[in-house]
Amino acid sequence: MNDSMSIPHLILNASVVVQLVMILLLAASIASWVVIFQRSFALSRAKKAQKAFDERFWSGVDLNELYRDVPENHQAQGSEHVFRSGFREFNRLMPKTRSSEAVLDGVQRSQRVALSREEDSLNANLTLLATVASASPYIGLFGTVWGIMGSFQSLSMAQQATLSTVAPWIAEALVATAMGLFAAIPAVIFYNRLSSIASRLLGEYEDFAEEFHSILHRNLQGRGGNQTT
Amino acid sequence: MAKRNRRVGYGLPVVLAIAVHVVALLMTMLRLPDSEPTPSSSSVVQATLVSDVTATDQAQYAKEARARAAQRQAEEAAQQAAEQQAQEAAQQAAEQQAQEQAQQQEAARQAAAEQAEAASERRQQAAEQAAAERAEAEKQQQAAEAKRQAEAEKQANAKAEAEKKRQAEAAAKAEAEKQQKAEDEKKRQAEAAAKAKAEKEKAEKEKAAEAAKAEAEKKRQAEAEKKKAAEAEKKRQAEAAEKKRQAEAAEKKKAAEAAAKKAAADALSDSIANEQERIANAQQSDQASNSFINLVKRAVEDRWHLPANADNALVAQVRVRLGPSGELLAASITRSSGNPSFDRSATQAVEAAAPFRELQQLDAGLQRRFRDFNLKFTPGDVQ
Repeated sequence: MNDSMSIPHLILNASVVVQLVMILLLAASIASWVVIFQRSFALSRAKKAQKAFDERFWSGVDLNELYRDVPENHQAQGSEHVFRSGFREFNRLMPKTRSSEAVLDGVQRSQRVALSREEDSLNANLTLLATVASASPYIGLFGTVWGIMGSFQSLSMAQQATLSTVAPWIAEALVATAMGLFAAIPAVIFYNRLSSIASRLLGEYEDFAEEFHSILHRNLQGRGGNQTT
Repeated sequence: MAKRNRRVGYGLPVVLAIAVHVVALLMTMLRLPDSEPTPSSSSVVQATLVSDVTATDQAQYAKEARARAAQRQAEEAAQQAAEQQAQEAAQQAAEQQAQEQAQQQEAARQAAAEQAEAASERRQQAAEQAAAERAEAEKQQQAAEAKRQAEAEKQANAKAEAEKKRQAEAAAKAEAEKQQKAEDEKKRQAEAAAKAKAEKEKAEKEKAAEAAKAEAEKKRQAEAEKKKAAEAEKKRQAEAAEKKRQAEAAEKKKAAEAAAKKAAADALSDSIANEQERIANAQQSDQASNSFINLVKRAVEDRWHLPANADNALVAQVRVRLGPSGELLAASITRSSGNPSFDRSATQAVEAAAPFRELQQLDAGLQRRFRDFNLKFTPGDVQ
């Protein structure tokens, strides 16, 4: 009884459609777990980088120094990326125009571009998790329904329908649903968790962009006052 | 996005994801070897007798057992007597056996009496025992009478055999005498013929004296030779008769020895038969108890509804106490499985299976044994 009702045995004895569904679900599960691990590592790294840059930025260091200090081949990330693109735009516009509003507009625009890119990278692949979470139960259910259909078709030929003749078929069919849920449950949980972490990080980036913008605005006001006087 | 991907590669996540799935698969696989070695006994409910009877009870049981053994012995003795009538068995062996059995029974009775005194049992039991002993004594007397009859018949048989032997010997002797007589007559005839010849020859001798003398001498010599030959034959015959007698005596001795050996062998085989019968009786009582246990087990199994959350490893022990007619007095959990619903299902199964009317069909001693027993509940192969 134990041998014939073991899960590997049931998987191997299932019909072709059910087996295809199971393979699809296994692939979806593996993909979702790959995304889960990759996103978890990436987001934890982004969090660390954000914390480090925050400390450095608010340590009272000169902004030009901070901008120049960063090595060229270093790929800026998160709020650092926002800061660098904003500051680069600011430095480029400063010699060309006297209007502080135009400079601030340009800086804001470039910061918005950087922010949207960061958002993109933070939420990358999370849509796959959402798809797996929402679709795999239905796929598994399809496999189960198909398997039970097959079981009833074969049952119609049997003389006596006892529980022991029906049980293996139904167990076989239910394995598909189990696999769908096995793929969906971690995907749902980690999608919620990872997207919440990403949105919090994005909120921190936006806060930093606003603060940086206000610093630049303050500087421009002071410089503009000096130039007018 | 491209930057992020370069920083956090997909290699490690892929490895980890596959590891997660392999672990999940192994967890489903690993439960198999764990569940497979569990004993796949066909019986789901295992019954064991509770051996917590009091000391006085045990003494009573011992006495009853002895009384039963004595009854069995008496029956065996009667059967043996019947068998011996048909057989040409030895009398002494039977007497010895009877004596031994009587001694054994007496010893059993003495032991029983001593035990009775020691235990200071109730008067009713004493009366029962006395009745049992009387019954035994009667049986023994019957057995003894049967033996006596058997002995008388055997003696008659032996006498008849002895007479037959004597007749056969007499016939043999008569034949021998006849032969001797016939030989004697032949000799006499031969002598008479020789004498007649001699007379004729004498008459001839007168005619021819010289030839006659020589012939007479020759005849005398011939007669002497004949006499010598006859004497030798007589001696030979006497020797043969002695040899025959010796041979017969040896045969008689051999027959006696064989009879003694047979008697010893019969005594041995009888004691072996007694032993075997005792063993058979013990096995029969065992079988009866086993059949009752199996009956109870099957009845309880049929009415046992396993709770859905029951684990295969669960084991519960229920102590069942029955009334004299098999009705359920109490079913209590003696060893809990840790799962209250499982325990409840076990006691409910016993309650549903009661009463066990088959208890009445058992012997009194077995009944008392099965008034109190344990049932061990293991889910086992229940689907």
